[in-house]
Amino acid sequence: MSIVEGILLATIVPLLCILVKAPTAWDRLLAYNSAANRVTAVLAISSVVLDQAVLLDVAIIYAALSFIGVVALARFMERGEGFR
Amino acid sequence: MIGTVLAACGAFLVAVGTFGIVRFRDVYSRLQASGVSDNAGLALVLLGLILYEGWSPTDWTLLFLLLLMLVTNPIATHSIAKSAFVQRHTGEDSP
Repeated sequence: MSIVEGILLATIVPLLCILVKAPTAWDRLLAYNSAANRVTAVLAISSVVLDQAVLLDVAIIYAALSFIGVVALARFMERGEGFR
Repeated sequence: MIGTVLAACGAFLVAVGTFGIVRFRDVYSRLQASGVSDNAGLALVLLGLILYEGWSPTDWTLLFLLLLMLVTNPIATHSIAKSAFVQRHTGEDSP
């Protein structure tokens, strides 16, 4: 199970490279969304492996907050704000 | 055992999706790679975690997290796609 955690952590690194240099703002938003999903999964795996139930609550709050942030930023950019 | 196999399948799907995000050129192609593989892969990882050590009371929380991710991931992907589409076709300075 720790191998799965390592793979998930390793796939965050190219997403961070995309997050730094991507052609458009939507690419960066998409990379942030994917990285947040992987962080949520890593928190859940850590909670089961380390046998600490508190990390599951942290994972739920992280997923909800990242979802709200991504949807709010997408609606913000849809109206053309931030480009002028 | 079966939980570990499911989690390994999910990790493989996530790795393939990350490769697609890095290699594709367009926003919509990246959205397709990210949305499909993230949903399937992370759902498989969480399902493998539920089946990992038998049934315990914390698995209800894991099930809730799985349902939350299955509901919110397509909404976020669709929101990003709609934002890119609308801004490209009606925006003043389209990318």
